[in-house]
Amino acid sequence: MGNTSTLFKGMKEFFMEIGDLSHFAARFFKEVLKPPFEFKELMRQCYQMGNRSLTLVTVTGFIIGLVLTLQSRPTLIQFGAVSWMPNMVGISIVREIGPVITALICAGRIASGIGAELGSMRVTEQIDAMEVSGTNPFKYLVITRIMATTLMLPILVIYGDLVALYGSALVENLKGGVSFQLYFNTVFDALSFSDLVPATIKSFFFGFAIGLVGCYKGYYSKKGTAGVGVAANTAVVMASLLLFVIDFIAVFISDIFYEL
Amino acid sequence: MAKTKLENLKLGIFVVLGTALLVVATYLIGNRQNMFGKTIPISAIFKNANGLQNGNNVRFSGIKVGTVNKIEMINDTTIRVHMIIEEKVKNHIKKDAVATIGSDGLVGSMLINIVPGEGKSAHIELGDELQSFSRVATQDMLNTLNQTNENAALLTQDLLKVTRSLTQGKGTFGRLLNDSLMAKDLHQTIANLKHTSSEANKMIVQINQIVKQLDFENSATGVLLKDSISGNKMRNVISHLENSSLEIEKMSMNLNAVIGDIKTGKGAINYLATDTVLVRQLETSMENVTEGVKNFNEVTEALKHNFLTRRYFKKKEKEKKMELEKIDEQTP
Repeated sequence: MGNTSTLFKGMKEFFMEIGDLSHFAARFFKEVLKPPFEFKELMRQCYQMGNRSLTLVTVTGFIIGLVLTLQSRPTLIQFGAVSWMPNMVGISIVREIGPVITALICAGRIASGIGAELGSMRVTEQIDAMEVSGTNPFKYLVITRIMATTLMLPILVIYGDLVALYGSALVENLKGGVSFQLYFNTVFDALSFSDLVPATIKSFFFGFAIGLVGCYKGYYSKKGTAGVGVAANTAVVMASLLLFVIDFIAVFISDIFYEL
Repeated sequence: MAKTKLENLKLGIFVVLGTALLVVATYLIGNRQNMFGKTIPISAIFKNANGLQNGNNVRFSGIKVGTVNKIEMINDTTIRVHMIIEEKVKNHIKKDAVATIGSDGLVGSMLINIVPGEGKSAHIELGDELQSFSRVATQDMLNTLNQTNENAALLTQDLLKVTRSLTQGKGTFGRLLNDSLMAKDLHQTIANLKHTSSEANKMIVQINQIVKQLDFENSATGVLLKDSISGNKMRNVISHLENSSLEIEKMSMNLNAVIGDIKTGKGAINYLATDTVLVRQLETSMENVTEGVKNFNEVTEALKHNFLTRRYFKKKEKEKKMELEKIDEQTP
């Protein structure tokens, strides 16, 4: 009996969370087009989220490309299909690995950052103070951050893809003697718009999800300073989970449009 | 304030670079699908698309010149494949070029290969339809392979029989392989052949010497060998001999026929040859004739002395005497 009630309670909390999140997203869409627009803050957030994540995305992307190629080589050599490496790595990076890995890295770095930042502002009643002083905290804090993540993530993904492909090309160049020109020629031969367009559109949604969850968790954090940690933690978990859900839906939708 | 400006600058660079990368990637992908640049549409009709898809490459003599634009099913055995090819290669592709569906390597994606034509036709134009050649489908290949396998199985069975026979020493080859006596005989034969050949060699040397010693100019051999007139004569003689032998053959055949007739027929000769009774009768008749002749002689002698015929006989004797005298006078 106790278990059932706990389950019901958990489910109720889950649905309430989804409902609150949807409400939060609806509020974002309602207020995003309304002036005043906080451009300066948006620029600052873009810099914080875009440029500051660059190193992390570079390192991660490079290693992912490198490792993927190194791990695939023996199997492809067994099949005598090592010349298909650029095609395989190119398509998998552009379609899936690039966007998902970059988004996960950003979820870890940005969603937790936003959650902790807004959470601490909530706990220290800075948000309340803003409301009192007549500044719309939602516009200033939430919309700028969500906009920044939505705009920055696709660029980070493109950049991450390039670095990952470079890592892969480096391995092929060193191990297989394939020139960079041939490698990238083969990659772009294999790629089509059905690979690039859905991945880019998906990245916007990933960015939006990261910003939304981070802001939601931080904006509604409770229970004092301990709540800040919880907000940061749950923001990462929920954002990561949501990324995979979006990825799953995105694959279905792109399959309908592009017959992958 | 300065910090914010620097941040904005960095952000600007980042955004511009990121967007530029996206644009470059879009251009590279689009360019490879002939979305930019001048292209012309052409088509080809196939029976089987073999898994061809929109966006697959079109190659002309191994160079990528375009992409598959649209695959349209006209009826159950006719599929029209629309292609767009770069306008700059238009002047190299002739109207009699042949389009085939192939694959990029063993496991690669499908593509269309345009094989150049004879070179006498005009260049292709906008909307032209190329001739096509449907390649052998995998199933057909497998069917042929299956037939080949069955044949191979039959062949191996036969081979097995042959090898068994060989190992058991059956047949000429089997005996050759297994019979040690035969091997010895063969060895001996070869030794004999060797000996014979050496003897023949010696003989040839001797014949050579004889030939060298021959006087080709004056001897009969020389005449026989060199004289073309004698040769012709010889040829005539031989031809006559041939005719004669033919005639002899005919004659012998006739003789044979006669003998056959004699043997089988009922003529007098056959009776003479075979009937012993007749022979006895003939013998008796001959005896009677001899006796008759004797009696006739006696009658003639009596007639000589008869006064009626005596004169005739005397006259005959006189004539005889006269003839003998003439012969005596003539002989020296």
